[in-house]
Amino acid sequence: MAWVMDNPLATTNSPAQNEADQKLWEAEDLGGITEDNNRLPIPVVWLLLLTVLTAFAITFPLWGQRPTPAIYADYLKDMDKPEIQSITNDDEAIKKIVAMHQGGPNQAQLERHPITMNELRSLKPKIEELQKKGVDLRDYTVVGTEVVFANFEGNMRANGTRERFQPWWDMGYTIDIFYVCIFFLGVVGVVKRLPPSSWQPTHGAGH
Amino acid sequence: MLKYLFAKNEDIPAGSAAIFFGFSSIVWFVIGTGLGSFNAAKLAFPDFVTGNEFFAFGHMRQVHVHAVIFGWISMAFAMAMMYITPALGNTRLWSEKLGMWNCFLWNVGLSLGLTLLWAGITSGREYSDFPWPIDLYIACFIAIPLATNVWMTVLTRRTQGIYTTNWFFTAATFMVIIVFVVGNTPEFFHLTGLTEAYMTWWFAHNVLGLWITPVAAAIAYYTIPKVTGNPLYSHRIGHLHFWSVVVFYSTPAAHHLMSAPLPEWLKSFASVEGVLILVPAIAFVSNIMLTMQGKWNMFVENLEVRFTVTGCLLAIPLNMQGGFQQTRAINWYVHGTGWIVAHAHLALLGFSTFLEGAAVYLGLQTLMKRKLYSLTLGNMHFWLLLIGFSIYWISMTIAGLIQGAGKIYEVPYIDVVIAEHPYMIARWIGGTMVFISNVLWLYNMWMTAREGTVVPVGRMPHEMAYER
Repeated sequence: MAWVMDNPLATTNSPAQNEADQKLWEAEDLGGITEDNNRLPIPVVWLLLLTVLTAFAITFPLWGQRPTPAIYADYLKDMDKPEIQSITNDDEAIKKIVAMHQGGPNQAQLERHPITMNELRSLKPKIEELQKKGVDLRDYTVVGTEVVFANFEGNMRANGTRERFQPWWDMGYTIDIFYVCIFFLGVVGVVKRLPPSSWQPTHGAGH
Repeated sequence: MLKYLFAKNEDIPAGSAAIFFGFSSIVWFVIGTGLGSFNAAKLAFPDFVTGNEFFAFGHMRQVHVHAVIFGWISMAFAMAMMYITPALGNTRLWSEKLGMWNCFLWNVGLSLGLTLLWAGITSGREYSDFPWPIDLYIACFIAIPLATNVWMTVLTRRTQGIYTTNWFFTAATFMVIIVFVVGNTPEFFHLTGLTEAYMTWWFAHNVLGLWITPVAAAIAYYTIPKVTGNPLYSHRIGHLHFWSVVVFYSTPAAHHLMSAPLPEWLKSFASVEGVLILVPAIAFVSNIMLTMQGKWNMFVENLEVRFTVTGCLLAIPLNMQGGFQQTRAINWYVHGTGWIVAHAHLALLGFSTFLEGAAVYLGLQTLMKRKLYSLTLGNMHFWLLLIGFSIYWISMTIAGLIQGAGKIYEVPYIDVVIAEHPYMIARWIGGTMVFISNVLWLYNMWMTAREGTVVPVGRMPHEMAYER
């Protein structure tokens, strides 16, 4: 087996092996059923390509990813500020907190995960307890008013910190691109072991 | 059957195991859809049969689901394997006796398991509801003997090549053992929390993805070329289908738990793979449709082709739904609603049932060498099944969208229940049509065995469909 580099889509089998395969294919009826050797129709190839692109595009985590408590950490600090505590209406208070963080590094995520004062009050002791422990809040996920350990990315260093965190836009995507590429390379490799598609077995009505 | 259980292997007529599996599967289909109709009646008419816990919805639902999956679908698969695998290997089934014992123990184990579920003895995990002794029984006395027979038949074949259908059969019988043993680890080892949730849905997803979907497709790869006389369009596309099922269907379990606090990377990965399930679907549907070239008249004239092509066509909405409903944005809306129930029925009662139905029709007629007793009853079976299923699927899809809206806009629950009522009645009507169609089918096949016209040597039953 070797790739023919000036014609990479040709079969990887040797001519002798191809000839043997073709003879075998033609000679036996596989117990009553035969197979042709057509290549994938071009529109179907485009459809498959579109499917792969769509798969990545539609699952891109612009929407629907669960928040980590890290994005609310600054909100919790603001809750204790006098200008917030002086506001008696909860809706007004959360509006003020949100306004104070406009343009911050977490703005996009905060917009996707709005929160009420009541929820903040419930979350506050739980998040503060985690902060006291010194853990990384990005390892946790907010589910309603609960905070649960949920993310397990990257190896831990001896000091308890992570070697790396994936950015929010790359949750599982690099590994998936690798996985999909390996799949298509594998399938092309498998198919290229067959006789070339330019050769068609002549299966008549006698099979 | 008892006669053959203790007979010598060589004294058992070829095809006996397949025939017993075929009739068992139809009987379980009648039982399963009867239970489905009963359960649907309870949802449509809440006062229907109350006061007895054994007829409560919570007891009956799992019995319906498991009767259909492990009775109808899986036994129809076993029938297809015991018939098609040797036919494609130009040989006999490796052991008819093992096949007979397999069928006997399957019926005994399933009856026992369903009785336990009915009594409320359950693991409490959806789709893996059977308590662990039954899980082990299924692995040891159902899945492993079936796999052994299929693998040994392929190994002892008298052809050099292995046709696409047999790749799927051998791989799926292996994969389902792994799915059963690994998927039930929460019960074997008392795993809890997210691990339990993940493994539960890994099991549920892969029973569909690595058992039901590939075996159903494998049947179509046999039925269409065999009945139409056209060779399969492409061996290459068969490769693409096979490997993409293995690679893309085995990984998206987390997409059933998009709202759970699983790692986001795992959910994203699963979600991409969930959309990529369209790759095997496109390969499968295109290969079968292209094989049909020049023989589309048989879609109208031939019962087996009509069943198979209908199943293939239903794979298109099935995979479009399946691919996209699990993405975060859509899952947020439809999760936990009747939409999912509709989708599950599209997979099991639509796509897969139509493909298996073709295999059981074709296999039983061929093995018994009897022409179908009544083509009219066969046609009635098809249309009642298709119309009943369509009513069910459409009504539950609409009901699911209403529930989704109710969930998102926080409509009071009782208002959603009232809005659902007409659709629950439609669901019951559709489900009952399916049940009636299967009673007709059982009668038709029973009469085929008893009074069907004998098919002469060298001819196939479908060739004589319009001959008196």
